[in-house]
Amino acid sequence: MRNRKLLWIFVLPGLLLYGVVFVYPTVLGLVYSFTDWDGFSASFKLTGWKNYHSILESIVFRKAFWNNVKFMAAVVAAQSVISLVLALLLVKNRKTYVFLRALFFFPAILSSVSVGLIWSFVYDPAIGLLSTLFQTLGRPELALNWIGDKKIAIYSIAAVQVWAHAGQMMIVFIAGLQSIPSELHEAAVIDGGSRWRVFRKITWPLLAPSATIVLAYTTIQSFKAFDLIFTMTDGGPNFSTEIMTTYIYHLAFSSYAFGEASAGSSLFLVLLSVLTFLQFKALRAGRISY
Amino acid sequence: MKKSSFRASLWAAALAVMLLVSACSNNTASSSAQENSPAKASEAPAESAQPKVTLSFLHWRGEDTESFNGIIKKFQEENPNITVEMQTLPSDQYQASALAKISDGSTGDLFASFPGAQFEAVANAGLYTDLSGEPFLANYSEALIQAGVKESKQLAVPYQLVYNDPIYNVKIFEQLGLQPPSDWEGFLALCAKLKEKGLIPIAFAGADIGPGQFMNTMVMNNLPSDDAFTKVEAGEDKLTNAWWVKTLSQIKELNDKGYFQPNALGTKDAAAGALFIQEKAAILASGSYQLAQNKAQNPDLTQKLLAPITVPADQAKYEGIHTSTFLLGVNSKSKHPEEAKKFLEFLSRADIAGQYANETGQNVTVKDVEYNTTELKAVSEWGDKKTLFQPRFTIKNSENQKAVTNSIQAVLGGSSPEDAAKEAQAIVDQQLSK
Repeated sequence: MRNRKLLWIFVLPGLLLYGVVFVYPTVLGLVYSFTDWDGFSASFKLTGWKNYHSILESIVFRKAFWNNVKFMAAVVAAQSVISLVLALLLVKNRKTYVFLRALFFFPAILSSVSVGLIWSFVYDPAIGLLSTLFQTLGRPELALNWIGDKKIAIYSIAAVQVWAHAGQMMIVFIAGLQSIPSELHEAAVIDGGSRWRVFRKITWPLLAPSATIVLAYTTIQSFKAFDLIFTMTDGGPNFSTEIMTTYIYHLAFSSYAFGEASAGSSLFLVLLSVLTFLQFKALRAGRISY
Repeated sequence: MKKSSFRASLWAAALAVMLLVSACSNNTASSSAQENSPAKASEAPAESAQPKVTLSFLHWRGEDTESFNGIIKKFQEENPNITVEMQTLPSDQYQASALAKISDGSTGDLFASFPGAQFEAVANAGLYTDLSGEPFLANYSEALIQAGVKESKQLAVPYQLVYNDPIYNVKIFEQLGLQPPSDWEGFLALCAKLKEKGLIPIAFAGADIGPGQFMNTMVMNNLPSDDAFTKVEAGEDKLTNAWWVKTLSQIKELNDKGYFQPNALGTKDAAAGALFIQEKAAILASGSYQLAQNKAQNPDLTQKLLAPITVPADQAKYEGIHTSTFLLGVNSKSKHPEEAKKFLEFLSRADIAGQYANETGQNVTVKDVEYNTTELKAVSEWGDKKTLFQPRFTIKNSENQKAVTNSIQAVLGGSSPEDAAKEAQAIVDQQLSK
């Protein structure tokens, strides 16, 4: 009985904080999603499911959804592979490797707004670093319109997202690699296994828990992306980089359609919850013991 | 711990929290009572017979802070009972959080807003005090403060005057013997000549501000009307009609002929500005608000404004575009509306508005202001020209505004003007059906 009370005393502050910063705004957002509230007026009217209908029928929202899917697919694929390759290359514990690990991890400590601004300049076709570099190398055809071409803009931003977070995921993979007993590798080598075979049959299966963490984290992070797109293109050109979070932001703070933005947020929350659920299911399935 | 002692500790903790909360609230209450109560004020020394008031002034122009600090100091010297606390938020943040801040009246006794969608939203929420009939309104050019009028009430006073016409490099034009053209053929010939000389004819920030700025001068004579987009938003006209398709075709023509810098859609404001400042581009498709900044970075620049005329000279009704922005309004929830009006009245004086203009490099809507820089003087000459209020700001719904500017990005990205217009109209139709 006493322990139970003590438990509550310790848990209560956390619960209160969670209630105030997550549950309360979520419930409030859900309520506003059924209103025509503009975000600051004292009064509003109930509008039923109207906001949800508007959102689901919106041409821009549909574009935003597909852009989200494209962005997520590009980031998840590239970031998982790159971070794994980096981890495999840098897992050895020598001084140079430690330095290189720190170097690759460095972008993760920068604020995403700063990263977005820096890369806007790097990508600029008139004065940007990439453009100047390709011109100098005599390959102007490679100086693409990175964030101005609607066909590649979303992938250019995805590349920045990968640049910023691959180092972080590399650390997860390195931790996973270091937890694999070296005897297993040694035994496999003695048995005459090639590098690729050892990786395929031993390293990769035992790395599965780390891989699922990386996949889950990357999927959710890329789905929730906002800062980079907001600072680099603000959804342009011609909605080609508009994603759900930027669309919701524009609804709330440019159109002052807070009710509709809340409906968008609720839909986004549902999508994200489904995605998280699937990821965690996969995470459980990926557990391997030895 | 025994059950009873545990309960006692809980009660003690609760009591302590209550005491703490009540002490804080007493403090707050007493201090605010002291601030507002006339009874307390009468006990104060004679020189401060009026109650002390602290005004909150909220805006987004961080670059004007230094100038406003000086102005506020002067105001406080004239009005020792009023203290002005200025708060500036970056414009993105201002869009996102300023309105929430002013809605309960605790912040922003005097606040700034953007014309168009934001002004409409604030007006609809009833957050503006009606300023109609205030004597200081006579200090302004009436035609330039209409952006702050709704249903015949002057709800806010636009303070800054901007001409959203492209800026050109006067020296380059003089060296090449060029003059601002008076028709579309002349404009194309001018761009051809600039390109032939190895210059970028027009630096265009297609990735951010370019479409929203350049569309104004491009459309003003294709449909010479101050309610073109109002009609579109009301469903009485369509973007698929000839005037907007023609505008898109002409923008596309400029791009296809290489009169914008290569890959203009990927260029942001700062980069386009740099091309102009470094004199690699002869024209910058933005507006007069960038003159001071350009000059600061290249003091050798001589700049003026020109608007592309998209029709034959005899059919041109407008010579350029103007916007009056930085709308100053008194918060209807303010506890100190009279003091806020007093501060607005102070800002409306020609000498103070002049100080603001000359220190910040921005023209103002106040009459009889003496400008002391070449750029401000050059811009003030536009006061005599026939200009149209920026069409983009007549679009009240920001989704429609985005649809319109994005149709420009679409044609620059390779879509046909007809398809781009159709795509934009589909979004407008969706807004209409709400």
